[in-house]
Amino acid sequence: MRLFREFIKGLWRENPTFRMMLGLCPTLAVSTSVSNGLGMGIAATFVLTGSSLMVSLVRKVIPDKVRIPCFIVIIATFVTITDLFIKAFTPALGRSLGIYIPLIVVNCIVLGRAEAFASKRGPFESMIDAIGMGIGFTLALMLISAIREAAGSGSIAGIYFSKSFEAPLFMVLAPGALLTIGVLIGFMNYIFIKKKER
Amino acid sequence: MNQIARFGMVLGVICLLATLVLALTYQVTKPKIEEQLKKEEQAALKAISPYTDSFREKSIDGINYFEALKGGKLQGYCLRITANGYSGFIRLMAGIDLNGIITGVRVLEQQETPGLGARIDEVRPGENAPWFLRQFRGKDSRNLEVKKSIDAITGATISSRAVTEGITKAVVEFLSNIHKGK
Amino acid sequence: MNGMSAYLTIFISTVFVNNFILSRFLGLCPFIGVSKQIKPALSMGIAVTFVTTMAALITWPIYNFILIPYGLEYLRTIVFILVIASFVQFVEIVIQKKTPSLYKAFGIYLALITTNCAVLGVTVLNTDTFFVSGAAVAGSFIKSVVQGFGAGAGFTLAMILMAGIRERLEFADVPGCFKDIPITFIVASLMSLAFLGFSGFKI
Repeated sequence: MRLFREFIKGLWRENPTFRMMLGLCPTLAVSTSVSNGLGMGIAATFVLTGSSLMVSLVRKVIPDKVRIPCFIVIIATFVTITDLFIKAFTPALGRSLGIYIPLIVVNCIVLGRAEAFASKRGPFESMIDAIGMGIGFTLALMLISAIREAAGSGSIAGIYFSKSFEAPLFMVLAPGALLTIGVLIGFMNYIFIKKKER
Repeated sequence: MNQIARFGMVLGVICLLATLVLALTYQVTKPKIEEQLKKEEQAALKAISPYTDSFREKSIDGINYFEALKGGKLQGYCLRITANGYSGFIRLMAGIDLNGIITGVRVLEQQETPGLGARIDEVRPGENAPWFLRQFRGKDSRNLEVKKSIDAITGATISSRAVTEGITKAVVEFLSNIHKGK
Repeated sequence: MNGMSAYLTIFISTVFVNNFILSRFLGLCPFIGVSKQIKPALSMGIAVTFVTTMAALITWPIYNFILIPYGLEYLRTIVFILVIASFVQFVEIVIQKKTPSLYKAFGIYLALITTNCAVLGVTVLNTDTFFVSGAAVAGSFIKSVVQGFGAGAGFTLAMILMAGIRERLEFADVPGCFKDIPITFIVASLMSLAFLGFSGFKI
């Protein structure tokens, strides 16, 4: 039961994007279409799970003072594995995500969970926490992508609404991303404030 | 001093293991990655040289190009072109016939601004080829000019020009090399 | 495209047209976290600019003379991040020892810069933009350093602008749930929209 709670918290109450505001750089850059958002979410979840597992397994062996560089090397290894696999099996996704794949290394979510959780808990727990956070991240990505894709290119997952819809292009460009996340975080704050008041 | 040595060793071991894992992954994925690049190239070649059935890769002056053949007979050439776009390089493939008339152009890779320069690659819903590139077909490759023979994309003059001038420059140089070689 | 005008174009486009924060979203964490007042924003900006420029300077030879010749481009991510982390650590130690006053001013920011997407971002971007088919283009090294410097400069510009606005925002009547972070994003989106006006700007 406790394990289930560890898993669930990443989805809503401690959602990395909307509540903890981690990993925003790739979130905004990549959320131009639902397929991109999903692809990045899956890649990041893989890196997150793999590195949290690894960090948890070696946590007793790594001296405290060098732990950050060690974590970074472990994370960078998983990122490179992901990068190579994407290039080999889904090159189109690789082209869409571009430099944001190697940037998963400095995604605060990955390093943050390694530092705050995986380095202090057992491997199975760390994996559950990582998967939960990863899925929460993916859901957040897909929500933002859906809004931006629908508003900015008139489609969802590549399926267009109507040929004559003149979409405000800025929604898939930079300003749209910042606007969408600003409004969404404000909205989430509102929900949580209301919950507290009850 | 002993502490630093220990730190260094732990970090060193981790780096070593990481490098081994990555080298292994690289060896495993490398053939697949090269296969993907070949597939993309073949698809582009087929798209830009529609009336041919096979391609032969050759090289002149250190530059690789393709001979486009139908039934073994030379119909034209396909060139890889790298143009200076607005936000970086645009990798193209252009096909010409033996008279230097363009048979097709495809963009392989570009990092232009979405909604503006990136539209050189844009396919309208319901169609199956980029509309901007379609206008190159049938034009004389040595005589391409934005505003004269080529319509630029609104708000993307630089990207449009990059493609146009890139093709002209590459073809002119290629054709002069070929004729010198003959 | 070579010579002075090329370098100027790269600098201007990195600072304004493809601003690292407002257009590429690299360096958002400090942008949201440290932009409440102008003075810390400027300090952070200067520290970041120093690191991005040096990172570009150091990683280029490593990529060109070690990774490419040995076919090890796939190790770029792991090598670059290690180089950046070591460099930042080294700088922190040196500053702490030699000029404690400088450390007091910039020290805390330095530790955060290792995980700043902008630093790793510009080094990876350099290898994507200034290398074609595994070989450096003309003037690649200087172009990379210019882009590194421009990345930091653009970051600093966005930070200062945002800090200036947020100092005034303190006196505005923002609805409760939008206070602090959400309104910052919305302001940033307006800034980003304004910077879009630089599109198509080329010397």
